[in-house]
Amino acid sequence: MVETTASDRMTTSLAPQSRLAERLAALRNTMSAWWFLLPAIVFFVGYQVYPIFRVLWISFTDYEFLSSDPAQFVGFANYITALNDPLMWASLWRAALFTLMFLPGTIILPLLLAILIDKVTNAKLATFYRVVLLIPAVIPSTLVFVLWKWMYNYQVGPINHFLVDVTGLFTLQNAPQWLGGTPLTLPAIAVMEWWWGLGYHTIFFLAGLAAIPKDLPEAARIDGASEWKIFWHITRPALAPIMMILVVLRFGSAMAVIDEYLIFGGFNRDTPTYTWTIFMYDQAFKLGLWRQGFAAAIGMIGALGMMVVMVILIRIFRPKG
Amino acid sequence: MKIRKEEEYLVQDALARQLRQGRIDRREFLTRSLAAGLGLAGVGAAVKGGIGSARAQDRPLTPTFYQWIQDLHPSIPKVNEKFPDINYQIAPVEGFGIERFVAEAKNKESTWDVYVGQTPFVEMTAMKEAGVIEPWDDYIPKDVLDDMIPSIRAENTIDGKLYGWPFFLDVIGNSWHSGLTTKAGLPDAAPATWDEHLANAKKIMDSGTAPFGATFDSHGWRSLAPFAHSMSSNVYTSEGLFDFTSDAAVEALKLMKSIMAVSHPDILLEGASDGGVNGTPDEVAFAAQRVGYFTKYFNAPLRMAQNWDDQKALHLGPLPKFANGEGSTVFWTTGSALFKHGKNKEKAAEYIKALTYDAQIWKDSIAGTETSHPGQLPPYKSIYAEWEAKKPDWMPDFVSLVRGQLDKAKAINNHIFGLQQFVIGKPIWETFLKGEEADPKAALQKVVDAVQAEMKRGK
Repeated sequence: MVETTASDRMTTSLAPQSRLAERLAALRNTMSAWWFLLPAIVFFVGYQVYPIFRVLWISFTDYEFLSSDPAQFVGFANYITALNDPLMWASLWRAALFTLMFLPGTIILPLLLAILIDKVTNAKLATFYRVVLLIPAVIPSTLVFVLWKWMYNYQVGPINHFLVDVTGLFTLQNAPQWLGGTPLTLPAIAVMEWWWGLGYHTIFFLAGLAAIPKDLPEAARIDGASEWKIFWHITRPALAPIMMILVVLRFGSAMAVIDEYLIFGGFNRDTPTYTWTIFMYDQAFKLGLWRQGFAAAIGMIGALGMMVVMVILIRIFRPKG
Repeated sequence: MKIRKEEEYLVQDALARQLRQGRIDRREFLTRSLAAGLGLAGVGAAVKGGIGSARAQDRPLTPTFYQWIQDLHPSIPKVNEKFPDINYQIAPVEGFGIERFVAEAKNKESTWDVYVGQTPFVEMTAMKEAGVIEPWDDYIPKDVLDDMIPSIRAENTIDGKLYGWPFFLDVIGNSWHSGLTTKAGLPDAAPATWDEHLANAKKIMDSGTAPFGATFDSHGWRSLAPFAHSMSSNVYTSEGLFDFTSDAAVEALKLMKSIMAVSHPDILLEGASDGGVNGTPDEVAFAAQRVGYFTKYFNAPLRMAQNWDDQKALHLGPLPKFANGEGSTVFWTTGSALFKHGKNKEKAAEYIKALTYDAQIWKDSIAGTETSHPGQLPPYKSIYAEWEAKKPDWMPDFVSLVRGQLDKAKAINNHIFGLQQFVIGKPIWETFLKGEEADPKAALQKVVDAVQAEMKRGK
């Protein structure tokens, strides 16, 4: 038999009270944590979750913005109509085509440029390069569009002026038509986007390069590694997380481009700029009584498709090891 | 504190009045009362109503304008000075977006009383269908109604009711660079027929005077429709859509192809702004003095010629016609819509009458100012009659030419697809213009099919 001491008895008798106090303290801590989280939760639910579910709900109705009739639940009818519409597939393909043109220039060019700038040893010169590169990124979008619209203008733009009046490679009758729905429109917009994002993306890679310890490439060089091997085995793996982020983010923004298409293309359904985003906008704000139920279904299909590709991209570009 | 109490009293009073008149229900009253901060005491005392509407009852006349109207017509503020309490605003309608108006109408309220910027064939049917606007008939003076040019009054009418009070008239006509035409040895006069127009354009190119002879805006409501009207304005189906397979439409499409042979290769490209509607290649070519003839609403050549060294070289005339054609054209007005849930409706009518009859606005529009030269014309018979009786010294000749055309001109029918039918059809009829489809009627039949399919999509 084990005898209990007074101290033990006291502990035993106080234990339930102590546990209760602990629980209350934990609850208080939890509650205070929830209070701190509340603004973020309100923002997240109100700004992100609610709109998504609202649009999802609309996509299952025949909601027309201009109609005074109440919206009726139509199940998957909008999705079936959209998926059976050749324009849906054509417009998705056009967006994908643009993304294929856009992504390589958005990743590879800034990467190369970042490696070059990283090698500049003069601090003032390196700062100068960084500032110059960032200039396009701080120009307002309206000005960028006006500038490039003028650059690409068929009749009076500097590019065609160079091709027609300076070099004589073309005449006014057969000069390239850069914008407005020709096959050159998507590459032309992609080039503009490369220019626009060059500095911004380069800064991402410069940040990644700054995190690589300098003795690693130096040691490799001493061991006789070529610059290519240094890039492939040291720089590239170190930049892999940044590359993954850029690829995924830029894939999303390229697939969902709309402003550029509205400004450089319009609503001509045969043009390469009539992508699924324009199709959705056209249905939601232009045609008939503004079929926003159908437009929401188009949006959901596009968004789901993008999410699937994004998951694949994350798996491909995820840093190994 | 005292001000606050007075406001509450006003709100209570207005809410009670609205409830008694049956304009709001009890639920809406409760919601709005609480939103107004009246509290339950206020709710119990008043009975039912809405803060937005309540304040609106006592608000000043609140018109809202499409931005471009203010930009192109600098005399509007002078008219506003005659209405001291006016709350003049610019409308949130960039790119003809009417979402805000519709959203407010669904809540049975309106921030504004009258919208100045409505183009009937573009948006009037949609505004009516969405319950945003109501007819002017109960408010517009009879003498004003009778003074409207009949075709313009018809344009602004749906089911016998006037849903738009016309203001600025745009007419599709012809214009030419007289410096280029004279240099090419052509008479300084508007070509009477399309054949003459094409022959002159070819001569400009052949003589090397300019790289291009003629141009047009490839958007259907600015080319296909007016060209068709120049043969016959009877080109609308029983349901109110443009009859794309009519003989006139087919001839118009063939004419577009003929003009393209003497025009700049980028003529079919979309424009530079407003979703591809403005800043079009035809405007660029005319502004750069690279083309002789230009068919579009007069506002366009007048604006483009402001880039020329010698702006007097711009001459304007009516649209040419087919040899056996009717000689009509397309016009549209930009006017005012009366918000169904707006206030101050009598005052709004008084204001719009003052605006639309203001002599300075018309002088500035036609003769131009330092900042703009829109060339838009008035919608009233009496104004033209006055000018005809005593021609002002600033009056250019094209005004009487246009007035003459107005007796034959026709607006594009009002329809929910009034504008969009041309947007849907453009890439399809362009297959003929680009040589991908040999038969113009076959291309236009596909347009009909596509428009019908789009209309059925929502059914």
